[in-house]
Amino acid sequence: MTQTPVAPGNRRGFLIRVIQTVHAGIGATLAFIVGGAVVAPSFSRREKVWLPAGSVPQLIEGVPAPVTLRLVRSDGASEVVDRRVVYLVRTGDTVRALDSTCTHLGCRTKFNPDLRQIECPCHGGVYDTQGNVLSGPPPSPLASVPVRIEHDRVLVQV
Amino acid sequence: MISRVLDWFDSRTGYRTLVRKALYEELPRGTGWPFTTGSVVTLLVGCQFITGVGLTMYYVPAPSLAYDSVRFIMTQLPLGGMLRGLHYWGASFLVVAVVVHMMRVFLTGSYKAPREVTWLSGLLMLLVILGFSLSGYLLPWDQKAYWATTVTINVARSTPLVGEYMADVLRGGSELGALTLGRWYSAHVFLLPVTLVTLIVAHIALMRKHGISGPIDRKVGPGEAFFPWHVIRDTVMMAAVFASLFTVAALVPAHLDAVANPSDANYIPRPEWYFLSLFQLLKYFPGPLEPVATMVIPGAVIGFLMMLPFIDRAEGRHPFRTPRRAFTTTVVAIGLGVLTLTGLGLADSPPRDDDHWDLLPIAGWQIATDEGSPCARCHLPGGPAAPLAMTRITRDEEWLLSHMADPVALGPGVRSAREPAPRAMMSRFKAQAVVSYLRQEHAGRRHPVVAEPERVAALTYAETCVACHKISGDGGSMGPDLTHVGARRDAAGIKAVIEDAPEIYGETAMPTFKDRLTPEQIDALTNYLASRK
Repeated sequence: MTQTPVAPGNRRGFLIRVIQTVHAGIGATLAFIVGGAVVAPSFSRREKVWLPAGSVPQLIEGVPAPVTLRLVRSDGASEVVDRRVVYLVRTGDTVRALDSTCTHLGCRTKFNPDLRQIECPCHGGVYDTQGNVLSGPPPSPLASVPVRIEHDRVLVQV
Repeated sequence: MISRVLDWFDSRTGYRTLVRKALYEELPRGTGWPFTTGSVVTLLVGCQFITGVGLTMYYVPAPSLAYDSVRFIMTQLPLGGMLRGLHYWGASFLVVAVVVHMMRVFLTGSYKAPREVTWLSGLLMLLVILGFSLSGYLLPWDQKAYWATTVTINVARSTPLVGEYMADVLRGGSELGALTLGRWYSAHVFLLPVTLVTLIVAHIALMRKHGISGPIDRKVGPGEAFFPWHVIRDTVMMAAVFASLFTVAALVPAHLDAVANPSDANYIPRPEWYFLSLFQLLKYFPGPLEPVATMVIPGAVIGFLMMLPFIDRAEGRHPFRTPRRAFTTTVVAIGLGVLTLTGLGLADSPPRDDDHWDLLPIAGWQIATDEGSPCARCHLPGGPAAPLAMTRITRDEEWLLSHMADPVALGPGVRSAREPAPRAMMSRFKAQAVVSYLRQEHAGRRHPVVAEPERVAALTYAETCVACHKISGDGGSMGPDLTHVGARRDAAGIKAVIEDAPEIYGETAMPTFKDRLTPEQIDALTNYLASRK
């Protein structure tokens, strides 16, 4: 490739632009693949499953029953067993499931049968049996978990 | 605004001078396309670094998880297949690019004085890159990884005097295992990259110190500026190579065997193609002559290449004119030797069908997944054990077999002979079938379409015949291997033996199956076995 005497500046500028474009293209392709693979799992969500949590006749009206669920899920390349505690609360024929995680900073709450309220040991948050905040720092009621009833069996989606 | 920020930045750092120094070099007149090979190597090394960093975020260097983490990258991670594909194929591209670059340097006589040290640093980089390949293919911990590394370490062991110690150091002990994987991983991601970067910096600095050697016959006239007149050639070559790499990685998924199985006696390890010549060479030097293939010949070739700039000191750079003709002949002979050996090795490769399923895994597939399978009692969503598709096959075979016979045992294999074992939930043969199925399943093999007769044959084989007969390496060894029985007997002959072996052989360990198997089972087995030529 020899320098053309005619308008060398134009030719040089054009070549520089080609060089920049090609290198940017290679860089962008690599960035897309590597960056994509690095970032993608951060946004993927596990598919929820329905797990049996108990039976309707065993639940006492208005008393949250803590149920521990064994959730086997994949964790990257390995598998882990999570223990999730949900409260099943029966009101007449309907059953609600409440996530036992405190909405303040994620501590595990406990049902206090004497005072009939759900308490968080960390910062003193208190919820009623339907999960509504009675006092303390929690910003919102306990989260509801989807429930399905099949022939008296309670299934929750986690 | 931007230019004012850059001006300020330049006044404080002087980066423009640096860029100018890096880009503005006068090249000898006529420096053309052959002088772009180094840039291609640099591009591929860069690619390996970037994709390698991506892979380390997911790869786990432990035998119990290495394989599963690679499978995770390949099958579950978005863009993961492409990420590993680029790294896997990039390794092959890199070896080719390095050899091409070396050939170019040789043919243009660029290694001659004063560039001897540049040449030596390049040769060291070739060895480092081969070290990358060697350590890299142990990492997935699949069959190939395990067995090819076993062979590599045994090659090192054949070194006179220090061989045993070298092997122990390479393995981190007397067995290939977690300690081996740890040190090879560390070498692959820390030691070798640091060495390579150091050598690259030195190589480029030396190249700049002495200038590019330029065309063989000097042309008179003004030189040309490196930027952009030569960089455009580099860029075009880099774009072409990157596009090819991308296409290959997108079209051909990176290879992954079944998980490493140290108890498998049938796996024939074969190295990557760039070590095939050495592999083939081993076949010609048996027994005590082995060090000739593992040490003497490779050592002589590398030694010759290292010494080249010191023994080839005459002026001329043309590869085919008198002072260099002898060297060119030698190098061409070495190259032809390597190519021939590689070719012979390739021709010797057994055909591979990744999606092929033998009878045993087909039977195991039925046993594990059919309605009423004992596995499904626990391996189900929300059950006490993870669904089969999610379990990891990281336990050894003994553990798996015991677990299938007695699922509640906490320590399979520890029950003493005096304690009565519970009735096995699954016979050892069936368990063996399920283990082979799990291996296929976890290697991501596509499920085969199995016709009813083949299904019946598989289950019958796994419940009965496997006790004494091998097919494709699995099974007992009391009776003859049935892998190619169809070549020895026709269907009628096979059927006669199954139905009543004593009638044909007289005294034999094989019982009559006329009354134990249904006619449907016998026909299915007969047809299947007759098809095994």
